[in-house]
Amino acid sequence: MKYNKERKEIILDKELNKIDKFTFDFIRIIEKYVDYVIISGYVSILLGRSRATENVDIFIKKIPKAKFISMYKDLIENDFWCINSDNIDTIFDYIDEGIAIRFARGRIPLPNIKVKFPKDELDGDAFNDSISVKLPVGDMNISSLERHIAFKRYFLGDDKDNEDALHVEELFKEDIDYEKIKKLKGLIKLRQYEIRKRR
Amino acid sequence: MKSEKEDNSKKVFMKPGKTNKEDRMNFIKYWAEYIKTHSDKEWSSQQKVLIDAQIPE
Repeated sequence: MKYNKERKEIILDKELNKIDKFTFDFIRIIEKYVDYVIISGYVSILLGRSRATENVDIFIKKIPKAKFISMYKDLIENDFWCINSDNIDTIFDYIDEGIAIRFARGRIPLPNIKVKFPKDELDGDAFNDSISVKLPVGDMNISSLERHIAFKRYFLGDDKDNEDALHVEELFKEDIDYEKIKKLKGLIKLRQYEIRKRR
Repeated sequence: MKSEKEDNSKKVFMKPGKTNKEDRMNFIKYWAEYIKTHSDKEWSSQQKVLIDAQIPE
């Protein structure tokens, strides 16, 4: 595994597991319609963490309903299904209201891809603050290592999340920008404060 | 045939943790070091066995 910080890419010659293949099949479809970035636990798993997961989290940029419907039809034609509803209006309403929707393949619900629009500027920054993982079969966009660590450690913060953060930190500690993590921590804490204030 | 001593020279040992949490953290560090010192194919084939066993066809 080779990380080129300047080029924002990781060369990864891994043997793909079922979650890698499932995720790759999904993003090959959605990337025809929308920009995406993979976030959270699967980032650590893609980079070698020794655990499985029930879902892969993906941000997609906000798109008009017509384009979303085209993407949805393409997913359905390729054996994916939305486990929240089979009514496209309902599905779009969910995601447009900031609710994550899940897609699985075949008629089974596991594993699944959890798709959501970014809910604020901090989420939206993930698209510009991303890196490309170059796999033998193609590329995957994931959140930057610093963003991944910051959100795992300071936003999510349970044992599993701290372990996911530690895995990535241990792998890339010579290249990680700790000042950037500190800044992201500040933005995360500010967002949490603002959410609490609104309640 | 290799002696036990020669075989062990290729092994990297993990420091056990005094608590479950510390042990889990130590293993994560150990596994990250394994990834850094082995080929992608070598570690990912082990990860594949672990993950594929938990995911339905």
